[in-house]
Amino acid sequence: MARWGMAIDLVRCLGCQACVIACKQDHNIPSGVNWCRVITGEIGTYPIAKLESWPVLCNHCYEPKCVNACPTGASAHREDGVVTIDYDKCVGCRYCLIACPYQARTYLSKFEQYFPGQGWLPSEEIAGKTYQTGVVVKCTFCTERLEAGQKKGLNPGVDREATPACVNICPAEARYFGDLDDPESNISRLIVERGGIQNHPEYGTDPSVYYLR
Amino acid sequence: MKPYEWMVTYTPQTEWVEHRGILLWLAFFFIELGAGTFLISSLFDNLPGMLTGWLICAVLGGGAHLIYLGHPLRFWRIFISSGWKTSWISRGMYFVTLFLLLGIIYLILGSQANQAVPLLVATNIMAFLVIIYGGFAMNFVNGIPLWNTAILPILYVVSGLWGGAGLTLVITMAAGATKIGMAVEEWTRLLLVGFIILLAVYLVSIRYGSSAGKISVREMVRGKWAPLLWIMVIALGIVLPLGVVISSYTAGLTAIPVALLYIAVFFELTGDLAMRYLILKCGFYNPLVPVHL
Repeated sequence: MARWGMAIDLVRCLGCQACVIACKQDHNIPSGVNWCRVITGEIGTYPIAKLESWPVLCNHCYEPKCVNACPTGASAHREDGVVTIDYDKCVGCRYCLIACPYQARTYLSKFEQYFPGQGWLPSEEIAGKTYQTGVVVKCTFCTERLEAGQKKGLNPGVDREATPACVNICPAEARYFGDLDDPESNISRLIVERGGIQNHPEYGTDPSVYYLR
Repeated sequence: MKPYEWMVTYTPQTEWVEHRGILLWLAFFFIELGAGTFLISSLFDNLPGMLTGWLICAVLGGGAHLIYLGHPLRFWRIFISSGWKTSWISRGMYFVTLFLLLGIIYLILGSQANQAVPLLVATNIMAFLVIIYGGFAMNFVNGIPLWNTAILPILYVVSGLWGGAGLTLVITMAAGATKIGMAVEEWTRLLLVGFIILLAVYLVSIRYGSSAGKISVREMVRGKWAPLLWIMVIALGIVLPLGVVISSYTAGLTAIPVALLYIAVFFELTGDLAMRYLILKCGFYNPLVPVHL
């Protein structure tokens, strides 16, 4: 079984936020919630200063704290490495949200309009049917795309139809997706060649998202 | 706060202390206070104290816990999943449920039978687990150094028992059982000393343990929440009860005005509540992205 993972090239990332928008559009994510974020910060001081961007999302850890914290089994770690949430099982205790050291989860307390007082957008109406209030939400690694693509015999990370939206949209091709367990996959080779690093490896969670510098 | 600033700076957790999170703070306090009162009262065969502890745990603690949930009516899912293998919230629900079941059986039936000792022992084991599970639930969160320490569960056990002893003292004195009250008061002395030592060790160890821990302790000691620590926790919650304890040690419990005793216990409990609030409020996460960004 594959272990899906992502590598993000920090040198290539422009900080354009296209991945944030693609994620929002693809999943009809409600207002106030972001599964994918890009932090843009300044390093150094003038005249020796530069901007750097650092995209973050759920790390789909191999040893996820959130899954161990969940009292109902709503948060689960699939065989392919993807960490999912079953909204129907979630009681809304938010222990997973607290336990995630990457703060990658959000509690959806209520639906808010993107444009208050101007009615619900079509995407917001879909969100109302897709999500529930009183539960925790987070990045899914676009599992629906992965599964649908694999059923068609496509290869996630290679074929766009089977690859997460944030990877497809990136104009700088800074995101790579693939099987971390396959040493011959593009992502595995990149991680080895470029010395890919995980965010806060000291937590012992073994994230599936790597950063390339 | 600028967009995403929270990811590159030390940021406090909010879900367990703000808005409806207040309910969780109260839930942990009342559940542990109730179980502590039941446990201490049972050592002195004090049925009114045990009943009071049971009610505090079930109604105030359990009620606040359920209302806090996003979907309270789904709480039963905790009992049909295997979450107890890894989740302290799940284990806690089992402990609380078993404690309440065994406790009510003892209070209704067992207290009138002579062979109730094994039932009481089982109930008290559950009561102890109820007191300690909140500390372990927080200790599990390794992103927040203030919580991620082995001292926290011990501190919560001592504070839960201390609160329980204080409430038991009030109940026994109100019932005129001065002799039992004196015995309970000896417990409060020990637990108060233990609480002071543990709180000091906890804060010092966190202060020098990590940069996020240092910020948490600084926020408590010198920051926005310092008045709560120094006035509610230290002055009223520790120094005042300590003065009463020293007076009763030197002059005897009967020499202390009962009203002063009640006031001391009241501030002991509010001090404990304030300490728990501070621990939740000042729980800072390490920055998500390395500081060099």
